[in-house]
Amino acid sequence: MLEVRDDSATAFEELVLRYQGRLLTVLEHLVGDRDQADDLAQEVFLRVYRARKNYVPWAKFATWLYTIANHVAANAMRNQSRRREVTLQARESGPMGTRPLEVMVQASSGQMPARQLDKAEVRDMVRMSLSALNERQRMAVLLSKFEGMSYADIAAVMELSPQAIKSLLSRARGNLREVLAPYFESGGRPVIGERPLNDEQ
Amino acid sequence: MSDEPEQPASTEGSLEEQLVAYLDGELDSEASRRIEELLATDPKVRQTLQQLDRAWQLLDELDAAPVEDRFTRTTLEMVTLAAAAEVEKCRTEAPRRRRRRWLLAAAGATAAAAAGFLAVVFARPDPNKRLIQELPVLENLDQYCQVSDVEFLRMLCQERVFAEEPENGQ
Repeated sequence: MLEVRDDSATAFEELVLRYQGRLLTVLEHLVGDRDQADDLAQEVFLRVYRARKNYVPWAKFATWLYTIANHVAANAMRNQSRRREVTLQARESGPMGTRPLEVMVQASSGQMPARQLDKAEVRDMVRMSLSALNERQRMAVLLSKFEGMSYADIAAVMELSPQAIKSLLSRARGNLREVLAPYFESGGRPVIGERPLNDEQ
Repeated sequence: MSDEPEQPASTEGSLEEQLVAYLDGELDSEASRRIEELLATDPKVRQTLQQLDRAWQLLDELDAAPVEDRFTRTTLEMVTLAAAAEVEKCRTEAPRRRRRRWLLAAAGATAAAAAGFLAVVFARPDPNKRLIQELPVLENLDQYCQVSDVEFLRMLCQERVFAEEPENGQ
């Protein structure tokens, strides 16, 4: 990053190659849309370039990068009209469909053993469970899980105190546990929308 | 904040917070020890911890986003355009900056010259000043030259021999 600060094009290209996958992963799971994640990631790299002279060598680059990403994503989501439905009813696309509900019904009725969800269904279920969190909880979870950031680093990125991050992650993981509990119990679908989730104050 | 397990649901939130922080390795050694004691003695707490951990591990099922070459290429193109725009902006602003610098330099030189002139003017003795002071002597110089004795001149001055008479002129 110091070379990028000194206008090295090669260094900037290397930076993009090194961080694009990680950044896209976080952004895609944050906004739930790959195309939007692409746009946001490019905006982030553009801002990194424009702000390169402000980079201080004692700062962790990943923290700086994700601070910019957090701002870009928050602005985008604020501007976006909220038509997303946070529900886990049957989806027309994707592998989940209505089958998981049937699995739960079958499991609870005891008529047949609960079917193990296949990998794609588990992935879809987890993705939907993540979407049940609010944006700040989701961001904190993604930074903790995918970037392995400490509470202090996440606090720096999200401009909150470490104690606030501790509370945020606690609520987020509590919500995930609650949503995924039926999966643990019966291999069925997670239940969202039937029970209120803990929300941050 | 109380972490006492004996207390009921009002501290459930803080206990879950401690459990999550414990799983994340964010507790100090004393707080970790207390949690571990609790885990050893309370099966409900153990179950909560397990569920928290299992839900967390399920996030590993989420895919890492694959990156297409097109993304890298368009990102670098976008930044290259931004860099080119920066250079162009500098180039168009350079003549203006140069002009401004020239004007500032000229103003500075003018001010320095004016200051120098004034310094010289005030510092140098004015030869005319001396002439003005000695004008009365100069006006009567021909008469004074007739007398070679300064003491005699002083005496004449005291007698007001040289006092000006407007009607007579010189």
